[in-house]
Amino acid sequence: MLRKLLKYEIKATGRIFLPLFLALLVFAGITRVISDISPETWSTPANISMLIYIIIMVGMFVMTFTMMIQRFHKNLLTDEGYLMLTLPVKPWKHIVSKLLVSMLWIITSGIAAFISILIISLEKGDIAEITEGFATFYHLVFEQLGTSAYILSFEIILGIFISLASGILVIYTSIAIGHLFRQHKMFASFGAFIILSNLSQVLFMLISMIPGITHLFNINDASHDFIGMLPIIQLIIAYGIIFIGLLSAAYFATTNFILSKRLNLE
Amino acid sequence: MSTILECNDLTKKFGKKTAVSNVNLKIERGQIVGLLGPNGSGKTTIIKLANELLTPTSGNILIGGMKPGIETKKIVSYLPEKTYLNDWMCVHQIIELFSDFYNDFKPTKAYEMLKNLNIDANDRLKTMSKGTKEKVQLILVMSREAELYLLDEPIGGVDPAARDYILKTILSNYNENATVIISTHLISDIENILDYVVFINQGQIVLTSSVDDIRAENGKSVDVLFREVFKC
Amino acid sequence: MAWELKSDRPIYTQLTEQIELMIFSGVYPLGSKLPSVRDMAQEAAVNPNTMQKALVKLEEDSLIITHRTSGRTITEDARIVEMAKTKLAQKQILAFLEKMQLMGFEQKEIISIINTMVEEMQK
Repeated sequence: MLRKLLKYEIKATGRIFLPLFLALLVFAGITRVISDISPETWSTPANISMLIYIIIMVGMFVMTFTMMIQRFHKNLLTDEGYLMLTLPVKPWKHIVSKLLVSMLWIITSGIAAFISILIISLEKGDIAEITEGFATFYHLVFEQLGTSAYILSFEIILGIFISLASGILVIYTSIAIGHLFRQHKMFASFGAFIILSNLSQVLFMLISMIPGITHLFNINDASHDFIGMLPIIQLIIAYGIIFIGLLSAAYFATTNFILSKRLNLE
Repeated sequence: MSTILECNDLTKKFGKKTAVSNVNLKIERGQIVGLLGPNGSGKTTIIKLANELLTPTSGNILIGGMKPGIETKKIVSYLPEKTYLNDWMCVHQIIELFSDFYNDFKPTKAYEMLKNLNIDANDRLKTMSKGTKEKVQLILVMSREAELYLLDEPIGGVDPAARDYILKTILSNYNENATVIISTHLISDIENILDYVVFINQGQIVLTSSVDDIRAENGKSVDVLFREVFKC
Repeated sequence: MAWELKSDRPIYTQLTEQIELMIFSGVYPLGSKLPSVRDMAQEAAVNPNTMQKALVKLEEDSLIITHRTSGRTITEDARIVEMAKTKLAQKQILAFLEKMQLMGFEQKEIISIINTMVEEMQK
């Protein structure tokens, strides 16, 4: 059932994002072509095309954000919820499907933005230079860190994913909490968001005050030797991942509880 | 006959307001049942409780002996009073969605009914009138071969001609083992198709009886009796 | 034939009466097949269970015969239909007589009124 939910979630959002990506790449291309043709650096057509490109870029990121909110709120907690929440599917699968698809579009938006920047700014020989630079960087890192480079990059990627998920889940939780209120739901959601974000920071502070962990931080401050600090950095990232992971789990559980036990559609 | 829907001391409160109060009810299979009561009497709340859109404050509601959940959603076909159709799909896409999620959904049945009502399967839901949307929803709901149909105000917003078609659709699409529960306050329109009625007022069951018994004992139509019971 | 259902009496008794009338008047001739319960219910815009109940009543009166495989037919026995018809007539006349008595008519008076009316109709 999760697969079917994902399919419909991608269908519902893809019809917005795919054209946006296409438009972004097309205008990046147009901007590139115009500025290549016209000798002056800033001709009017190039400016206009550049402006449109920037607007689309901004629009795309605004859209990933509004879609994230709208797909959760509108699809589950307004009239559409009467259909979605009476499907023979557990509520947590709805949350997971929306979370994964939201993450998918945030990441692909980032990739699309990256590619469009390359289209606009890439000069001849750049690719070779970049690959070369990357190769040197890779060798350097590998030489210095050895196999722990893999662990570190794995940790970083995992960290990015979990932070992204927790960022989305805190918004879902806020919307779900707002749903508990009879009036001013929007306002309540916003308030819940502020409280939750502060709460998570306070929690983080409290946890870092646990003896031993503070000790780690101190070493961190004192040392300027990156390689020497590496095990500690890895440990800190691991702690961070565990902390954010637990936080995400708590958000998820709260949202799921509200959707399954405290639902009250208008 | 076995019980399809059962409420045991079912209570639902919203804050201080009690919407459903200590309801005990048993509905047997193979009937068309009218859940009748004035606006705000708790009809919709009971139906939402049966669909797990609300959780009881105390007591329970059982469908085929099970608490509302995945298994009951598979056998319950629910028509809410709201139009729940999203604004980006075509009719045939929502039919696909139903066939994807409900094993008992019969697309051929749906397309046949769409044809009878002159609704184009390629029409976008967004461009439809409210009445047409309601018809599409009823078609979706009646195209399932469910064990229990819960229809919340199915004839509320449509014109009399469509109303006749809807009643006909309900009559012709349910089989002998299925149960249909129709909530409404427009009794005279549907009383001829009902086997059994449940009167509900201020969250409490006032009367349950077969329609024939009401007529035989009181010499009155259900509609007239309803007006007497709920006289303001 | 249009189905007319009044709201103050059980629907199935009204259905029974109307189907009886259809049999008497030849809408459903002797030995003919009845439509399915579902179709009849839909035509009358009533619940199939109610139509079923009405048909069971007619079966008890032997006006309708249920075959295990081929649905229901009207009886081929004209005497049964005659009897049912007479019974219905008696019922109607009884009701009529009771009303006339309430209005203060003697039996002789009633018969003489009927006779005059029948003669006038024949002219």
